[in-house]
Order: sequence, then structure tokens, then C-alpha cells
Amino acid sequence: MPRISNQIRRLRFDHGEMTQEELAQRAGCTRQTIIALEQGKYVPSIELAFKIAQAFGVSLEEVFQYE
Amino acid sequence: MNFKQFTAIRIFILIIMVGLISWAIVSGNAWIPIPVIIAALVIQLFVRRRVKEVVVDERVYSIAEKASLVAFRIFGIAAAVIGATLVALGWQSASDLYKIGLTLAYAVCGLLVIYYIAYIYYNRKYSGKK
Repeated sequence: MPRISNQIRRLRFDHGEMTQEELAQRAGCTRQTIIALEQGKYVPSIELAFKIAQAFGVSLEEVFQYE
Repeated sequence: MNFKQFTAIRIFILIIMVGLISWAIVSGNAWIPIPVIIAALVIQLFVRRRVKEVVVDERVYSIAEKASLVAFRIFGIAAAVIGATLVALGWQSASDLYKIGLTLAYAVCGLLVIYYIAYIYYNRKYSGKK
């Protein structure tokens, strides 16, 4: 199992229930990738991780944590 | 056009393509599949450009890489074992089994050569050497 967890679901909630589709568009990936990330089944590249953090307007560490 | 519409069109193109190729095989016309495959690829490329959503991303590429590696290993091992067995069985009589075995063995060799050329290329590309 990946040792990198994320707060994407919570951050989407904090950003006015941003949809997975909207986040995918902002980060330049597919909705299936967002679903896989939220379920902890996929670990993104550093580039995508930065794009997701940028989409929320927060730092990388606020979205992804290494356990 | 959204991703669902794009997927529906892709499935439709696939069904038409399979139908036409099946018909070509049954009717014994070997030239029909070539323009059919080319037309299907061109139409798919044209349709993909009209999709506003992201269709392919790094996760899709990552899955494709893993699937390619698994397919490469399975085909390589199976073809090598079957090829060697057929060559051994038809060694003395130089029968069709021998020829098929030899073809499979050469196919595995070709595959390995392509793999190592690609490996060397990407190893140089991502090694930082100039």
C-alpha cells in the first residue's frame, strides 16, 4: 500500500464541495485519477501533486503527507 | 464533446471495425482491413481533438506501461518456451513445427532487441549524460 496519504476529499469539502470533475479540470487530469487518489489507490507524480495543491491554493504538504 | 460521448463513439467505431474486418476475413479479401484500420485511427484522432476534457493523463500512461511490461514478459516467456519445444520436436524432420518454432524464436529475439534498444535510449535520456 502507498505510504503517501492525502487530504483531497477534505480540501474539496473546504472549497465549497468542489466536484471531482472541477478539480480534475483545474489539475489537468481525469476524474478517474482524482477518484483513485482519494481512495489511496494511486500516488501522483510530483508535477500532478503540485498542480493539485495549486488548484486548492495551498502548499504541497497540506495536501500530501508521507507516513 | 465530453468523455462519455467520446467513449460511446470509440465503441461504435470499434464495432464497425470488427464487423468489417470479420466480413473481410470471411469473404477472403485481405486488403480491406488495412484501409478500415487506418480510417478508424484517423476518425478516432479527429474525434479526440474535439473532446474538451482531459482524456489521457499520467495514470493512464502508468497503467499502459505496467500492462505493456506484463504483456512483454508473458509473450516473451510463452513464445520462447513454445518455440524451443517446437524446434526440439521438429528438429530432425524439418517439418512445419520446426519452422513455426523457429519463427517464434526469432520473434522473441526481435522483441528482446527492440526492448534493449528502447532501454538504452531511455536510460541515456534520463541519465543526465550528454
